[in-house]
Amino acid sequence: MRNQYITRHIFLMVLSVFLCTSSFAQKAKKDKVRLKANYVKIMNSEIYFDLEASAKVDGENVNVSKVELVIYNVVDEEQLELGKATTNMGGKARFKLKDLSSIKPDSTNTYNIEVSFEGNESFKGASKSLSFKNANIDAKLVTIDSINYVTATLVNKLTDSIIVGQSLKVLVQRLFKPLVIQEFNETDENGTILVPIPEGIPGVDGNLIIEVVLNDSDEFGTVKALVNAPIGKLIVDESTFDERTMWSPRNKTPLFLLILPNVLTFAIWGIIIYLITNLFKISKS
Amino acid sequence: MKNYDKILNDLVPQEFGKRGVIWTISLLVLIILGIIAYIDQVIKGQVVTNMNDYALWGVYISNFVFFVATSFVGTVTVAVLRLTNNTWRTPIVRIAEIISVAAIIMAGLTITIDMGRPDRLLNLFIHARMQSPITWDVIIIPTYIMVSLLLLYFPLLPDFGLLKKYYEEKNPTLSKWYGKLSLNWTGSDAQKTIQLKSIHIIALLIIPVGFMLQTIDAWLFSTLFRVGWDSTNMGAYFISGAAVAGVGALVTVVYVLQKVYKLEDYITDYHFDKLGKFLVLTCLIYLYFNLNEYLIPQLTSKKEATTHINVLLTGQFAPLFWFVIIGGLIVPVVVLLFKKGRKPLPMFIIGLLVVLGSWWKRYLIVTPTLLHPFLPIQGVPEEWRHYFPSLHEWLITIATLAMALLIITILVRYVPIIPIQRTADEQEELELNKSTKL
Repeated sequence: MRNQYITRHIFLMVLSVFLCTSSFAQKAKKDKVRLKANYVKIMNSEIYFDLEASAKVDGENVNVSKVELVIYNVVDEEQLELGKATTNMGGKARFKLKDLSSIKPDSTNTYNIEVSFEGNESFKGASKSLSFKNANIDAKLVTIDSINYVTATLVNKLTDSIIVGQSLKVLVQRLFKPLVIQEFNETDENGTILVPIPEGIPGVDGNLIIEVVLNDSDEFGTVKALVNAPIGKLIVDESTFDERTMWSPRNKTPLFLLILPNVLTFAIWGIIIYLITNLFKISKS
Repeated sequence: MKNYDKILNDLVPQEFGKRGVIWTISLLVLIILGIIAYIDQVIKGQVVTNMNDYALWGVYISNFVFFVATSFVGTVTVAVLRLTNNTWRTPIVRIAEIISVAAIIMAGLTITIDMGRPDRLLNLFIHARMQSPITWDVIIIPTYIMVSLLLLYFPLLPDFGLLKKYYEEKNPTLSKWYGKLSLNWTGSDAQKTIQLKSIHIIALLIIPVGFMLQTIDAWLFSTLFRVGWDSTNMGAYFISGAAVAGVGALVTVVYVLQKVYKLEDYITDYHFDKLGKFLVLTCLIYLYFNLNEYLIPQLTSKKEATTHINVLLTGQFAPLFWFVIIGGLIVPVVVLLFKKGRKPLPMFIIGLLVVLGSWWKRYLIVTPTLLHPFLPIQGVPEEWRHYFPSLHEWLITIATLAMALLIITILVRYVPIIPIQRTADEQEELELNKSTKL
């Protein structure tokens, strides 16, 4: 009987140790983070790296938010820290470069970047390498036989030579995302494309912003040139900014709303004051 | 004269008995718990509540709307019955005025509790935009508080005069206070003329002000272009709902005071019968507006409206919705249609049901709509899809209800709940009529 009692206790102890360790092991299991990094250069404007962290958790792809990513410039196996960026709720982060001269290329004039995540309680560490060369797009608007075209030349900045056979995309900027005008335009032997811009595209004050984009090239990353083109169909701005409306700030309240509630308020409070004076009259009579 | 003395002895404010003391202490305990919870809320911020990006108005706003609705009792019972010369109103008007004052004061306080930064309250006035119904609300609530206080105070003047004399020997300190409050009332013709004229003006004034209050409260919702709120029916819907909440609260409080202070000679079955009929009328009107509010969107079947109404009719809010409609409106109408149903005890039970239904009705007006935004709820924590008040919210809300009851309790302790002078005058008039007939 006593033996049976001891056996039961030993069995329960072994079981609890097993359960504790297995639950601990479950907690200790970390998921792997996948990093994505894209280099984006906007001509005569900003240069940045678009970073993204995701992971497969319980068989489902999820964005990994609030992780700190460290960005390094790799030069001859030496890592120079450029800075840090933290992912947002969508698992995305953007790291801006002041200009390309703030990072160094290697001996082949290729810029090497490494994005690194140290790991945390939930995720293992990860890193992502990125290499690109410096390219430029020179884009402008031309009119040939009353037809408006955007012409762009893709240049390897390092060698100052034109780049042939690369596909450039032409888009026009819209409110939420750019609208594609022509998707595939290969640069000719002069490294140039010539794309007609359709008539009648609406733009505020008739202005359009045309984008010429070398999209996610293995060699040059993403390079974008913006062209201001005053060739759009004029949009009449129907802004009520200067009018007195229900949605205006307080200094532009519609007059009826200033007059009516104030008249009512003063009238009612006038009566209230009269009633209070009646209390004084009662007190004195 | 003997009759007059009896009336005076019966109707002077009475000291609390053992039950009264326990009741007051219980209310104070609830209030203290609520104050502690509120201090914690102010220190930690509204993170202690279960409100979130979607349910950004929670139980505080529901409670605020309930208080605003209940305060309407002053308008419907006092002003309307006074202007229509319904003599049966005499023993219940004071109670209605007291409830009205307590409810509207607590409405003003509750809306401040809902503010994340109450220290910025003044900004509501400094940076007010006349386009916003919130600004109108900020104006109308103090206005209604003022009118309600005047409506309570003016008719009290003769009674304070009587109480001054009554307590002259028994309790000189109290007598002194009543003397100050009576504003040297002697009952002179000049005083009576000013008093009656003033009461008549307030009775006229409180009707538009009361209607404005309820309508603005409704417009806080209906101007927001949200499913369930975006309705031209909303103003009338709120006014009728307020009448139900107000009369329901009145019935309940009248019963309790009748029993506690043994006022069966003054608040009789006849008064309950009248109040019962009044409650039926308000419930029927409110049912009609409910029908408008829910049936038409269901018939026109706009996607968002149908989803919203289905959540109420058959979804997660269905038990509460049907309790409000059946328990808070249909059952009262059915029971009160029978004469036996309009006896004091059934009336009290029905009154409680109506008040409970009215409170949850405001919760149903606020919460389900907020949980159905136009844009799909995506990429947010699961708990944001649901809302149920946190412990802090419950403690604070219960404390505000307790505060309203405490205001009523304190006023009942020091103010005659049935107008003494008016009751005596009516009694005298009645006896005079009898003797003239003989």
